[in-house]
Formats: sequence, structure tokens, C-alpha cells
Amino acid sequence: MLRWFIVCLICCALPWSALAATEIEISSPGEQSIPLALTWFLPNQGSQSARVAAEFNEVLDADLDLSGLFRFVSQAAFLDDAEHVGLYSTQVNFPQWRMLGAETLIKGTYSLDGETLVVEARLFDVVNRRLLTGRRYVGERKDVRRMAHAFADLVLKELTGEAGPFSARIAYISDQSGDKELWLMDVDGKRPLRLTNHRSIVLNPDFSPRGKEVLFTSYRANNPDLYRKEIYSGKEAKISYKQGLNVAGRMAPNEREIALTLSKDGNPEIYLIGTSGRVRKRVTDSWGIDSDPSWSPDGSRLAFISNRQGNPHVFITDIFSGKTERLTRRGKYNATPAWSPKGDRIAFTRQEGGRFDIYTINTDGSDERRLSFGPGNSEHPRWSPDGRFIIYSSDKAGNRAIYVMRTDGTGARRLTDTKSDCRHPAWSPRW
Amino acid sequence: MKAMQMFKIALVVLFIFGGLVGCAKPVTDDQANVTQPDMSQQKEVKVADDKPMHGDAVPSHDKMAGLKRINFDFDQFTLSAEARSVLGENAKYLSANSGVKAVIEGHCDERGSDEYNLALGESRAIAAKNYLVSLGVSAKRLSVISYGEEKPLSNGSGESAWAQNRRAEFKAVN
Repeated sequence: MLRWFIVCLICCALPWSALAATEIEISSPGEQSIPLALTWFLPNQGSQSARVAAEFNEVLDADLDLSGLFRFVSQAAFLDDAEHVGLYSTQVNFPQWRMLGAETLIKGTYSLDGETLVVEARLFDVVNRRLLTGRRYVGERKDVRRMAHAFADLVLKELTGEAGPFSARIAYISDQSGDKELWLMDVDGKRPLRLTNHRSIVLNPDFSPRGKEVLFTSYRANNPDLYRKEIYSGKEAKISYKQGLNVAGRMAPNEREIALTLSKDGNPEIYLIGTSGRVRKRVTDSWGIDSDPSWSPDGSRLAFISNRQGNPHVFITDIFSGKTERLTRRGKYNATPAWSPKGDRIAFTRQEGGRFDIYTINTDGSDERRLSFGPGNSEHPRWSPDGRFIIYSSDKAGNRAIYVMRTDGTGARRLTDTKSDCRHPAWSPRW
Repeated sequence: MKAMQMFKIALVVLFIFGGLVGCAKPVTDDQANVTQPDMSQQKEVKVADDKPMHGDAVPSHDKMAGLKRINFDFDQFTLSAEARSVLGENAKYLSANSGVKAVIEGHCDERGSDEYNLALGESRAIAAKNYLVSLGVSAKRLSVISYGEEKPLSNGSGESAWAQNRRAEFKAVN
């Protein structure tokens, strides 16, 4: 009898707790902003380190600023509560924050014991005087940036229902070492790490949908061949090495097939191959160039580029029925389609006035929007896993560098320096 | 009395349940929603092994004095009259030096999709090869490779640099 009563209570509690979750629906970032007070984290126990606090604050501030969801309350206006360590909602002086116009508040503490770092981070609802979410991160001193990115993801999850993409990584091609090699960096451009040492030309990286592998093309064996590389183990294998092109490899959402461009039959066409390289299906068949496939999130369609009607345009083909339609109608050169993770839009580049800029369009060809307006060329657009941002390369500051912007074209910022040539960014799935 | 007890137990269960799934809101206790991911447990990314891959570098085919490069228009692989006349000379050279095999490299300027340019560079190299074959050069002596926009002759930007980079080159194979 008692047991039944408890089960009943739990069942009742489930929908109730879901309903009680306050989510703020934000459809167009930049137009709506939440006033946020982001305080510096205070030392709790152990030794003080202004650098730990500064680094955490800098990373979190940059991530949340990029989201476009917040208006930051000036730190110069902060009153004495910003100096109080207490993290329980009963210990926070909410009226003080309310007075400064803040509706949300981030407070936290850190303790550094040798190399061991513990960070406690909290997000408060100032209006309703309550804790929204919090985390305790345990790691080493060098993990402080990852902790801050993880908390930024959590803050977005709490306020919008969709976690941020800041804990992910970005793969890209850089010639920093003298050759074009595959590199990996944080989403804010920090901690670059070289993954290949082919001393040749490495091109076109793309993550497997679960993020454990990267596909890329390399000239290491004197032909543009397709490789796969496990990120954690560093293991690498050449999977497609047919005569001619083996390029633009993109793993299907189910990770069982790879779409790529092969020219083994004398003309560049898109094929599906198994993960060991065996050809399973030829997808395109036209006299011209077919390349640059990008999967729809459900794995049923591919967007690609073709010059079958004269100029390069973006087409969409259903891989089961073979039905193919042209997507882009304007311009004379449209390229590098990238399907959004939500499936509704496709990002691509168009040459207009001798220069490439980034556009997005609905998958039915409606609602085309231009996101970049020079100077220089902006190319290689790819989506963040949450669909909030587009990462791309641009030569507007000299050498080609990696940039990120919101999907409405605002908030553009450069992530890599311009000392070397950086291109072809790909945002990993969430790790 | 018994009902009261039951109610208390139910409250405790509800509280624990909320704490366990970590999504019950609003949060009544500040610690209820706080979990502890251990950052030190996450796997670190492995760096590439740094052993040099000798012999794996991009092949540097010897340039052949007798074979001249040809140029193309933007996004085109058709052979201009000028390109055809250069290829005619190249064909004569190859006929006179019958032991020579050549790699035809197709190149593009930096603009446009890398993947598309890889395909375009190949089309350029194939167009040059087919024309040489039509002039009587054995197809067995000619192979093609595309470098897309990856190996520009000129690193500059602007039409004069781009025009130089849109090309097919002929290199001897050992």
C-alpha cells in the first residue's frame, strides 16, 4: 500500500518537474538579451591565484558574449556582494544585484591545492532569488579553461534548453609547421595541437558524427587519398586510395558509410563507400564536376556542388530515390554546402563581385540570407553542433584565418592569428 | 498519525528522486542540482607521433626544359588557342624524346571551394592529356594529378597572381 503510494507520487512528480523548468525561448540571438552579472571567482581554500580567476572569467565571458544572449552588467558597478564567498542562495544579497539591473548572476569559488584545482560555479536567478544551476569541477590547474567552457555550456542549457558548443573542439588545416597539416584547437582558438605529421598536403577535415575520428585527404602517398584518424589514440588508416581524387569525405550520421568524391571513372562523381573503403554506391552521374557532399542530419539526402548546368551550384539529392534538385538559383558560383545540425538550413559560399561571402538558405530554396559582407573572401562555412554559430575561414586580415560568427551574421571574431594560413575548420560534436 | 508518517516518507522520496535526476525545479536546496564532473578523469587528446615520414613528401617532379605550362580562365578547363599551340610544341618535344614519361599537374587559383578546385584541377590536367593524346602522344606516357589550389605559383592575391596559378604543368617521372 505504502509502496504503491510512493510510486504514484514519483509518477506525479515527473511531469510536474518538467513543467516547472523555466526556459527562456530565444529564437534570434542579438535581439533579446538577459542582463547578467558575471563576478570574478573568489579563493575558497588553498592558495590564491589571480591567474586562475582571471582565466576562468575571461573564457566564460568570451563564450557567453559570443552567444549573444546576454548584456553584461558593468563590473565597475559591482557592490560588496561580489566580494562575498557564500554560494547558497540564502547568502547572496539579491536586492543588491537587482538594483544594478542584473536578472541573472554568476558567482563561484576556486581552491588551488598544489596542482589540484576545484572550481564551484553557480548561476542564480536574481529576480526569483534562487539557484538555477551549479557545478563543482575537480581537475588540475591546467584544466581551468575546459572547466569554464563546460560551465558556459551549462549556463546556455539552463537558460535556453540547448547546451552550448564550447566544450567541443575545432579541427582545421594550418601550414604553421611548414606544411599543410591537420590541427585541433579549442573553440576560442586556444591550445592548438597538431594531429598529423605527413609533411605533404593535408586537406578537408571532417569529424565522424560521434566525434571520435577525423576524416581527411592527404597527398602523403603522392595521390589525394582519404584517411581516417582516431583522435584519442592517434591511430591512422588510409581508407580510399583509388587512382585520381579521393576527397571531400563526409561520414554518414549512422557512421556506416562515407560520402566522398572519386574520379576513378575519369570524372569527379560522388560515391558512398563503406568505412573500409569499398565502393557501395555511385550517387551522382553527370558530365560535369560533382563534389563537396554534406549529409542531411537524418542521413537520407546529400547537398553537393555541381556544374552540370554550367556554373557551380548547390544541389540536393535523395540517396535512396536519386531525385536531385538544384538549390541555389542566384549567383554564378555557389560552393561548399554545409547542412545545419537541425536540418532546416544550408550554409554555402557565393562569389559576388569577385569575392566569396557566406550565405544560408532553407532546404527548399526559400529565405536566402547573406551573412558576411567582406572585406576579402569568407569561405568554408560549418555549423556548431548546436546550430548557434558558423565557423569559417577568411582572408580579410591578411593570411587566411579561422573566424566564428552567430548564424545571423553578427558577433564575428577571429580565432587564429594571421602568421600562418589556416583554413577548413570543422566543429566537433559535443565531447 | 499513520497518514502523516506516510506523507513524510513520500516527501523524503520525492526529495531524493529530485536530487538523483538533477532536473527537478525549482531547486529548493542549493546543493541539490550540483554534480561533480571530474575533469581530471577526461581523456586527453593524443598528439601526433613526431617521427618524420621520410620519402612521403610531396613529389618534386623534375621540371622539364622542353615542356611548357599552359594557363586557363577562371572556373574553366577548356583549352584556349594559345594553350593548344603550347601543347602542340609539347607534343613535338615528347615525340622527339620517346623515352620520356610525364606527369601533368592541374592547378587552380585560390578562389572557390577546395574540393571543387581539386576536381577542376584534374579536369584541366585531363584536358591537356587528351589533347596531347589526340596529337599522337601515347596515353601510357602521361599521367595526371590535381593539386587544386594547394600549390600556387604565386602567393599573391589579385588577377595577375590568380591567372598564373590557373595552370597545367608537365613534370618528368623517374
